[in-house]
Amino acid sequence: MALPRDNQRPAPRIVAVSPDDGSAIDLRNPALAAILSWAVPGLGQLYQGRVFKGRLFMGAILGAFLAGMWLGGGKVVYASWKPGDTRWAFVCQAGAGLVAMPAVVQSLALHGATKQPLFGSRFMAPPLMAGQYVSRAYADRLAASDPDIDADDFFDRPPLKQFRGEQVSLWQRRLGRWFDIGTLYTMLAGMLNVLVVYDAWAGPLGTPTDEDRKARSKST
Amino acid sequence: MFSVLTSTLVCPVLFAALADQVPGIFFGLPLVALASLVFAATHHEDPAEIRFATIHWAVWLGGILGIVLAAVLLLGWFA
Repeated sequence: MALPRDNQRPAPRIVAVSPDDGSAIDLRNPALAAILSWAVPGLGQLYQGRVFKGRLFMGAILGAFLAGMWLGGGKVVYASWKPGDTRWAFVCQAGAGLVAMPAVVQSLALHGATKQPLFGSRFMAPPLMAGQYVSRAYADRLAASDPDIDADDFFDRPPLKQFRGEQVSLWQRRLGRWFDIGTLYTMLAGMLNVLVVYDAWAGPLGTPTDEDRKARSKST
Repeated sequence: MFSVLTSTLVCPVLFAALADQVPGIFFGLPLVALASLVFAATHHEDPAEIRFATIHWAVWLGGILGIVLAAVLLLGWFA
């Protein structure tokens, strides 16, 4: 029988071992699965055929993230690195994946040449800080739609307008404890997705069984 | 089907109406459940084992947080 040539050998399977019954878990492409799991929690597990866990992670983590957004009035996920409002919570929220990435786009748009967020004022737009310049259109839209802001809160600096207050303080005054609770939910969703990404990359972490503990204690 | 629809629509409304009456600390309970569930699911593969481990971790997490809460309350009472 002729031996298979190198280019005919199938690629080695990368598998993990289930800690429950010792069965093999085909991880397929672990790096791709990890990226998919970061992008959409649980998607990497679905890619690997681990449907139950994929659906569970997707429902739990996205549910917690969306619950946090709802509790916080849609204001708790934003990206800001300005001195005075460095949003460290976003470092954790970004772990939830693509669902948190519009905050980065909004922040870049607001601080960029256009001086206004891409998706409007309500969706993950960073809060305005005292002295911040924004486009006239965005200032007028805020004055018309935001109950805490009116036209007098802007200095006229043609062709732009300059905000006088601190929008994050207005949010916290209006939302009260809901701002912190919403932030906590979204942060936890992001942090737990880090474990999900690891599960997609390397399989279940496993816990020492009673037999393992006894074997270890006998050997020492 | 009707009861599922009703509860899906009524629960958020009831929740929104009553939420302000609930002390903030109770909003941590779903987070304990979430952390227990995800932690258990990343350590096991079998659904039955995941369910059992979720309860295990929820009891541990809830117990530890409960002890910390009790300690803080006692310190506040005597301080």
